[in-house]
Amino acid sequence: MMPVSRLAGALIPAMTFLSYLRVESWEPCVEVIPNISYRCMEVNLYKIPDNIPSSAKNLDLSFNPLRHLGSHSFSNFSELQVLDLSRCEIQIIEDGAYWGLNHLFTLILTGNPIQHLALGTFFGLSGLQKLVAVEINLTSLEDFPIGHLKTLKELNVAHNSIHSFKLPEYFSNLSNLEHLDLSNNQIRNIFRKDLQILHQIPLLNLSLDLSLNMIDFIQPGAFKEIRLHKLTLRSNFDNMTVMKMCIQGLAGLEVHQLVMGEFKNERNLDRFDKSALEGLCNLTIEEFRMAYVSDFSSHDIDVFNCLANVSAVSLVSLNLNELERFPEDYRWQSLELVNCKLQPFPALALSSLKRFVLTANKNSNTIVEFKLPSLEFLDLSGNVLSLRGCCSQSDFGTTKLKYLDLSFNNVIVMNSNFLGLEQLKHLDFRYSTLKHVNDFPPFLSLTKLLYLDISHTHIHVVFHGIFLGLYSLKVLKMAGNSFQDNFLPDIFTDLTDLIFLDLSYCQLEQVSRGAFDSLLRLQVINMSSNNLLSLDTLPFKYLHSLQVLDCSFNHIVASKVQELQHLPSNLTLLNLTQNDFACICEHQSFLQWVKDQRQLLVEVEQMVCATPSDMHGRPVLSFRNTTCQMSKTVISASVLSVFIVSLMLVLAYKFYFHLMLLAGCRRYGGGECTYDAFVIYSSQDEDWVRNELVKNLEEGVPPFQLCLHYRDFIPGVAIAANIIQEGFHKSRKVIVVVSQHFIQSRWCIFEYEIAQTWQFLSSHAGIIFIILQKVEKSLLRQQVELYRLLNRNTYLEWEDSVLGKHIFWRRLRKALLAGKPWNPEGTADAENNQLEATTFT
Amino acid sequence: LLAWALLHPGGGGGEAWPTHTACRDGGLEVLYQSCDPLQDFGFSIDQCSKQLKSNLNIRFGLILREDIKELFFDIALLTKGSSILNFSYPVCEGDQPKFSFCGRRKGEQVYYAGPVNNPGFIVLRGEYQVLLELYNENHSIVACANATVICS
Repeated sequence: MMPVSRLAGALIPAMTFLSYLRVESWEPCVEVIPNISYRCMEVNLYKIPDNIPSSAKNLDLSFNPLRHLGSHSFSNFSELQVLDLSRCEIQIIEDGAYWGLNHLFTLILTGNPIQHLALGTFFGLSGLQKLVAVEINLTSLEDFPIGHLKTLKELNVAHNSIHSFKLPEYFSNLSNLEHLDLSNNQIRNIFRKDLQILHQIPLLNLSLDLSLNMIDFIQPGAFKEIRLHKLTLRSNFDNMTVMKMCIQGLAGLEVHQLVMGEFKNERNLDRFDKSALEGLCNLTIEEFRMAYVSDFSSHDIDVFNCLANVSAVSLVSLNLNELERFPEDYRWQSLELVNCKLQPFPALALSSLKRFVLTANKNSNTIVEFKLPSLEFLDLSGNVLSLRGCCSQSDFGTTKLKYLDLSFNNVIVMNSNFLGLEQLKHLDFRYSTLKHVNDFPPFLSLTKLLYLDISHTHIHVVFHGIFLGLYSLKVLKMAGNSFQDNFLPDIFTDLTDLIFLDLSYCQLEQVSRGAFDSLLRLQVINMSSNNLLSLDTLPFKYLHSLQVLDCSFNHIVASKVQELQHLPSNLTLLNLTQNDFACICEHQSFLQWVKDQRQLLVEVEQMVCATPSDMHGRPVLSFRNTTCQMSKTVISASVLSVFIVSLMLVLAYKFYFHLMLLAGCRRYGGGECTYDAFVIYSSQDEDWVRNELVKNLEEGVPPFQLCLHYRDFIPGVAIAANIIQEGFHKSRKVIVVVSQHFIQSRWCIFEYEIAQTWQFLSSHAGIIFIILQKVEKSLLRQQVELYRLLNRNTYLEWEDSVLGKHIFWRRLRKALLAGKPWNPEGTADAENNQLEATTFT
Repeated sequence: LLAWALLHPGGGGGEAWPTHTACRDGGLEVLYQSCDPLQDFGFSIDQCSKQLKSNLNIRFGLILREDIKELFFDIALLTKGSSILNFSYPVCEGDQPKFSFCGRRKGEQVYYAGPVNNPGFIVLRGEYQVLLELYNENHSIVACANATVICS
């Protein structure tokens, strides 16, 4: 039993481990789209994989050494639409190999060294539209068993060893054929009989590519009365003479587009002159294209004489530098000159021309004035043009211009606001340098303009009326420019139809609150790569159509959450990546907002913190609220406790005497004393005694009972007797109100001396001095005893300030309270305490 | 050991391609190694010297793993880890392509023998790293090489 359980103990973890490494069922292929698309490229398969679902529509088996395709090889894949068998070393394809692939419309056999194709090789492919048979050792079209593929639209047999251009009889079945690529084969001669089949069944939409065949001879009349959509003849002729002869051989052809010329890496022509194209006079051509002909040198436009009736001409990388003029009677509607080294630019006056493209021409930096009254589309991008005045009708000789592209040029000076060019819909200046844009509203008359690109045009916007008049504009791209004070002012007021606005790379630091207020249809704003420090959403408040807002690559630290409430309701994408987020508790609510708005934010996982240093480079989402809650609780608890303690202290201070009362002084005067204090004062100070002393002590808390001569002395008894009987005898303390008048009053001095004696005789009486007003020292010295006492003892001094009064009353109350009996038992203690509390003995 | 054996890719897929010599002459040696995991390719420079001539003739051949309707060439020159030169060049663009191989598709051969449009200059003594990359319109790598230029 033991070994078995041990084995089980070892196997169970191993099985668990292996189950995690479970091989997907379509291994070694890759599932691109589940149940639809599978890629098994270069995985060393020797046979068709049987683990791919039969629902697969797209199967890529390229670069596997399959070598041999047997009959019914793909019967499991009846749904297949695209089958790629490139470079599978296939030499033999048996009859019916593709049987059952009724839905297949693309079969790619590129790069297989097929030795034999049986007659039934392509049987079953009843829906095939595209057959790519490049580099399959095909030697003739005649032997290619595709006659039954009636649905075929595209046949690519380029880069084979086909010698004959003879289109076999079975082409009469291929009535849908639109593309036939025979480029890079060995076709040297084209005879009249080769195209015989096209007379029987005209393939009007056929595009024929014969490039890279070294053609020596085209029999005159071979293409007579034949119509093609496109004929491509690039790098076909060994020399000028052959080319001239062959073009003459094309006589009678009617073709929509004729493409001629060479490839840069396959140049054969030694020279080229105007006679080469003479033969084109016998063709009917709609569009003519020519590219990369070396030594295309002609002083004379006569070279194109046979193309006078063509509607579109495109010339790429031809050396036209000596061309002086274009004749005015050509009927060209479209002319494209790309990289044609024109220097200087020839005068253009073609009344029919609607579309003119002149790009990548680095040899001339000025253009002469055009006279192109029908021109609607003008592309002058990528040249090195400098325009000293732009732009008005006189520059291009047309009032019909709708599309103008002057991008990627040199300096363009704005001196006219498009007078006569009010039809413009598309205007592109990007990467050219625009001058004098701030001098006047440059686009004022372009009320129909839909698209304006002035990106990277070195504009420093100072003038707020720069975009005046652009009422129809839908797209404005102005990335890579700058603004005065790096502040975006209210310059878009007229752009009420705007949908797309690009303000990236503008060094913006601030945006006016009302900058976008009139852009009610705006859907996309790009403000990335600026220097914004915070996400101020107020400018976007009224943009109810806004869907995309890109503020990436700024220096945004955080935003106030209450401001984020102003984000437009239709916003679906907000990009805040690559900013300088501060992941600190101060911005906790913003960071929480980020977490809550994952759906809205683009690449929220890519948003990383810049500060503090311990969070640097970490995702904003990793910020933990709990760290803030901890410190928040601690802070709030400590603040609260400090507040409570200080409140208690304040209350205790304020209600000190109430507390004393509560603590035990409920009953007082428990002894033989009727009064708490007998007040000795000069009658001159009676006002103060009545208004301050009596009021504060008798009506305050705790209430003290004072003995005052005007009130408490019994009438009919001698003053001295009253002083002793009522004053000293019944009072615990004596308050002496010292003032100028006190010293001068003999009664007062008398009372004071009795008080001293009384204190001496009875141990429990204390004298409290109150200095009401500063007494001159000389006067005080007359009363030697008093002077001595005041020097030695603490006394209370009356001050008129609020604080002074407050302290005075507290001290006085304390002094009076000191001798007060807490309770009958405590009397003795209190008397002892009193000796310590009062400052004199 | 079992885990290591299971997780480690079997076969030669993970191995680096061998280093080839593109040219070695006149004090200049150019070595390269394919950095495309899918394939190695052939490349040579016809003339090689410290006094580099303009419009050098090169030969270049490979079998495409990607379609190249559009093709772009990036070159980055580094010495001692710091970048000296970055250059990007469009080889094939959609309409009216410049080279005969433009527009070819997966499985087809590309063989180019001809000049490159380079200026002539004198190579200073030292060792340089060159990263060459060809990619198509979908930014899929068509060919990639780490080259070392040693000038002595």
